[in-house]
Amino acid sequence: MKRIKQFTKWMKGHIYLYIIGTLLLFTLQYMRSLTPLFLQHIVDTVFGDKPSALPGVIVRIIDASTVQTELLFVALFSVGFTFIRLVFVFVQHLIFAFFTEKTAYQLRNALYSHLQNLPFSFHSKADTGDLIQRTSNDVETYRRFIGEQLVTVLRLLALTTFAIFQMARMNVSMTLISLISAPVIFTSAFVYFIKVKSLFKEVEEAEGKMTNTVQENVQGNRVVKAFGNEIHEIDKFDDHSQDFLNKNMILTKLMALFWSITDTMIFGQYALTASFGIYFVVQGSMESGQFLAFLALLGMVVWPLRQLGRIIGDFGKTTVALDRIDEVMDAKSEHANDSQFKPEINGQVTFENVSFRFDDSDQSLLKNVTFDVARGQTLAIIGKTGSGKSTLMNLLIRLLENQEGSILFDGMNIKSINKKWLRKNVGIILQEPFLYSKTVYDNIAIMNPHANEDQIMNAATIASVHDDIVHFEEGYKTIVGEKGATLSGGQKQRLAIARMLLDDKPILVFDDSLSAVDTKTDIQIRRALTHYWENTTVFIITHRITTAMEADQIIVLDQGEIQAKGTHKTLMKTNAFYASLYTKQTDFKATLEEEDV
Amino acid sequence: MQAFEEETYQNTEFNTKTWRRIFELMRPLKKTVILVIILAAFTAVADVSYPLINRYGIDTIIATGDLSLLPIFIGIYVAYMVVLGGLVFSFIYLAETIRNRLAYIIRKHAFEKLQNLPFSYYDRTPAGWIMARMTSDSRQLSDLLSWGLIDLTWGGLMMIGLLSVMFVLNVQLALITTAALPILVVLSLYFRKKILKIFRRIRKQNSKITGAFNEGITGAKTTKTLVLEDSNYTDFERLTSDMKRHSIKAALFSGLYLPSILFVAAIVTSLIYYYGGVNVADEVITIGLLYVFVSYVMQFFEPVMQLANVLSHFQQAQASAERVVSLIDAVPDIEDTDDVKKTYGTISHPKRENWEPLIGEIEFEHVTFTYKKGEKVLNDFNLLVKSGESIALVGATGAGKSTIVNLICRFYEPTEGTIKIDGRDYKTRSLAWLHDHLGYVLQSPHLFSGTIRDNIRYGNLNASNEAIIKSATMVGAHAFIETFKDGYDTQVNEGGARLSVGEKQLISFARALLGDPKILILDEATSSIDTQTEQKIQKAIETVMEGRTTFIIAHRLSTIMSADRILVLEHGKIIESGTHTALIKKRGHYYSLYTNQFA
Repeated sequence: MKRIKQFTKWMKGHIYLYIIGTLLLFTLQYMRSLTPLFLQHIVDTVFGDKPSALPGVIVRIIDASTVQTELLFVALFSVGFTFIRLVFVFVQHLIFAFFTEKTAYQLRNALYSHLQNLPFSFHSKADTGDLIQRTSNDVETYRRFIGEQLVTVLRLLALTTFAIFQMARMNVSMTLISLISAPVIFTSAFVYFIKVKSLFKEVEEAEGKMTNTVQENVQGNRVVKAFGNEIHEIDKFDDHSQDFLNKNMILTKLMALFWSITDTMIFGQYALTASFGIYFVVQGSMESGQFLAFLALLGMVVWPLRQLGRIIGDFGKTTVALDRIDEVMDAKSEHANDSQFKPEINGQVTFENVSFRFDDSDQSLLKNVTFDVARGQTLAIIGKTGSGKSTLMNLLIRLLENQEGSILFDGMNIKSINKKWLRKNVGIILQEPFLYSKTVYDNIAIMNPHANEDQIMNAATIASVHDDIVHFEEGYKTIVGEKGATLSGGQKQRLAIARMLLDDKPILVFDDSLSAVDTKTDIQIRRALTHYWENTTVFIITHRITTAMEADQIIVLDQGEIQAKGTHKTLMKTNAFYASLYTKQTDFKATLEEEDV
Repeated sequence: MQAFEEETYQNTEFNTKTWRRIFELMRPLKKTVILVIILAAFTAVADVSYPLINRYGIDTIIATGDLSLLPIFIGIYVAYMVVLGGLVFSFIYLAETIRNRLAYIIRKHAFEKLQNLPFSYYDRTPAGWIMARMTSDSRQLSDLLSWGLIDLTWGGLMMIGLLSVMFVLNVQLALITTAALPILVVLSLYFRKKILKIFRRIRKQNSKITGAFNEGITGAKTTKTLVLEDSNYTDFERLTSDMKRHSIKAALFSGLYLPSILFVAAIVTSLIYYYGGVNVADEVITIGLLYVFVSYVMQFFEPVMQLANVLSHFQQAQASAERVVSLIDAVPDIEDTDDVKKTYGTISHPKRENWEPLIGEIEFEHVTFTYKKGEKVLNDFNLLVKSGESIALVGATGAGKSTIVNLICRFYEPTEGTIKIDGRDYKTRSLAWLHDHLGYVLQSPHLFSGTIRDNIRYGNLNASNEAIIKSATMVGAHAFIETFKDGYDTQVNEGGARLSVGEKQLISFARALLGDPKILILDEATSSIDTQTEQKIQKAIETVMEGRTTFIIAHRLSTIMSADRILVLEHGKIIESGTHTALIKKRGHYYSLYTNQFA
């Protein structure tokens, strides 16, 4: 039951299409099983006076007084009959296509929307390659299953059944003789395709290794050349390429054996049916027209058996794919049951004894963090990698949820505020911002689709990225992202700042957002920004002490705990850790002073 | 970018040159190809004769009622069965052999060429383009040249066979069947082309959807922080609904194709029913012959459809062939001259016995360098670097730092002027000779899949384990490597240790050190690392630099300070040069560049 639900849940709203399609399909296969009977009718009924195997209705329509007119009627009727059948084939094909594409469409949309709504903790742990596999290959496996494989199985089963039915109507013992090899052929196909699966996997893996080698060589071409290891790489690639070839050849041998053996079996069945048929006809227990019909109907039974075995052997694949899709869909969205409270936010932020650890770990990433930032103030958080400074920011916009303590905006607990609303009010500029595969222009405009060209260029100018952009081959129309121009880390960071300038936010967070920009530009941008955001509460996360120095308040974070709080001046005096960090990073200044002496 | 557009097939003409080149590649498979063509002929004969066996049963045994002939009939059938089984086996086996071997040959040639192409080729060719040549194109081409070629031979012979047998058996019925031929050809070609085109569009759309998923997943954090979920979904929905539209259109065409062919078949069959039937009634032909013709109608349609299929894929395959040939026959724009090759050997056959030792003195003499796009980076550049000296290159992006390094490595060659190594123009010695003495550490360390040991050994493939451990120890990597469960045998990529950038960097230092290079390039090797790791790396750098001519491109002060000489570059010119202390005293560009940080 559960399986059935799993299969059908993406078909909601149009499952009737499947039912209509299936009914049509059965009718069609019945019509098809009648086609060999026209020859039987000609040979036995028109030329002789034996009974026709065609249904009575048809026989009455094509009945005529002379042989010639009757032949003409048979010919005309069979054309008309086939025409109707083929129109049905087409209609049925379209119905299934509509059904399949609608289902795939719904599934893809649901997956995409769900993936976007999954919490940050899911994304930070997820393996991107694996997720992509699920959204592409697994969806395709399912789509192929409902659109092609299941339809084929239904069609072949219907055809085989009706063909056997037509045979049995003519001669039961001949029917049994004609079906002797059927179980053997089906079973051998079924078993073969299950066995060969692991081999297919090996071939795939060998190909993967080979492709990987090419990729590494293209990407690391500089390294290969600089070390002069071209021959080593050629040998390595040849090993992989040859391994792939060899595995393919093993598969080839098995394939050739399978097809030739089953072909021989099928012709053996033909030989058996033909020999007995001839014997029965000569003996008088069967008509020659029936014999010809048997030969044709036999083909409708034996040839599909291999395909049937193959598809049924493949069924497992689809359940695995669906399980993998469900794993994603069952992960809980972060917006389910979220509060609808959307208050005005002014920019006063309070942390009260905030602690955080991941559910699957005992180690606290933040311990009893308490501080207060007034509206319009700048707070710098400085600390080493792993000190908890990014966690702190993730809590601020509820990418992660703190277990203990509370975070308050203007005195309101942020857990009572709608998540999307909260994030709309807090602008974060990430260290590694993501740019979408759109034009540079659209990437900036993304924060405010109504912004005009002047506003966008102005934002780019303030963020010191305008000059870079106009130097691109297509200026603001340059496409960025995976398939477009490659931007340097610094350019990306500056674009991220530019797009944030188009939106007015009470709280801003710079999460190490100028780390890839050279120091001169860094200062230039920050100066420009201070004027721009006068009434904005600003958080600066950094490990560069020079960036933190100018803040109204500085927090030194170490192993999740606040080590010290204060201004640059007070910290230099009172906090040894801060002071040592300062000396270490401004080593250059020390040398300078020495020189000056 | 336009030149690398994947799916353009404007060229419809037969490209003789390309195909000749491809057939040259196929030469080692010549015997197999001939054999398979002979087998294709036999199979065609077997297919044509099959209905004739049944006809013998109908017309000879049933008509006369002579059951004593039945054993002969069975004998013929069994013989046919065995022959056909054998044919099917050898057919599949040989065809697949050609397919797999040809793909292998193409890959081999392409990969060897890739290793011989200069760095500039990679600079202007997108990685995806190269990957596609090695995977989908080589596959498509070998498909066409194995099964495609066989289908063509089999289909052609089958039609000739069927036509001749039909005309021998009965001219009137044969003419009826043949009359359908032109209609079939036109229908098949029309539909095949149309379907192929739509499916190509679907594939494109599909990769767009995958791209969107990829973006949705990798950009999840940004999307959340900017609250762009809804606008992203709208974009995505547009993609999937386009996909739905294209797919249904594809179903429309592919759904029309087979029925329309079958309808033509139905008309021909009914004509055979009528005229054949009349002839049987008039006792002009036998029932067996009528049966043979009814069977032949269907058999006749099969090869036509196959031929149309091959022909419709031909254009696509030709495009693949052209691209593959363009890669295999690409002419490297940096290559050793024949004279140099004679003395120093080639990449695949180096003559190490003729290689002089490299001492490490480098001189730029009036070097001008212009990129293909026409932008002049260096103009009359002069520089002499003594052996063992370390040089730091400082300057804004585009000042020419990377160009200088690329020229030293001979990834590019000067447009004008000469670069001398140990007093001789480096073009008079081989690329392999230079690269054998070169060490290189990149900003984002590139490690190959394999173990840590394999990756360090990359610097000198003949190095012993002791030597590997020694280099690792010298750069300070040994300690963290030992903390892994598998130590030096830890896999660096999938399923192995998750190495941090800093750790990867240290491994790439060990790799460079193991090669004992005379010239060492450190390309922004320390910029992506935090302060703590930087100190470790700084030590590693000092160890590695000792006794080697070193070029450093870096933003970090500590790295630059340790150089013997600092060159400040602007627009391809040296505007300041000297030691750190001297430059600071000078209060010039260098000074202002670094005091800015604290202003």
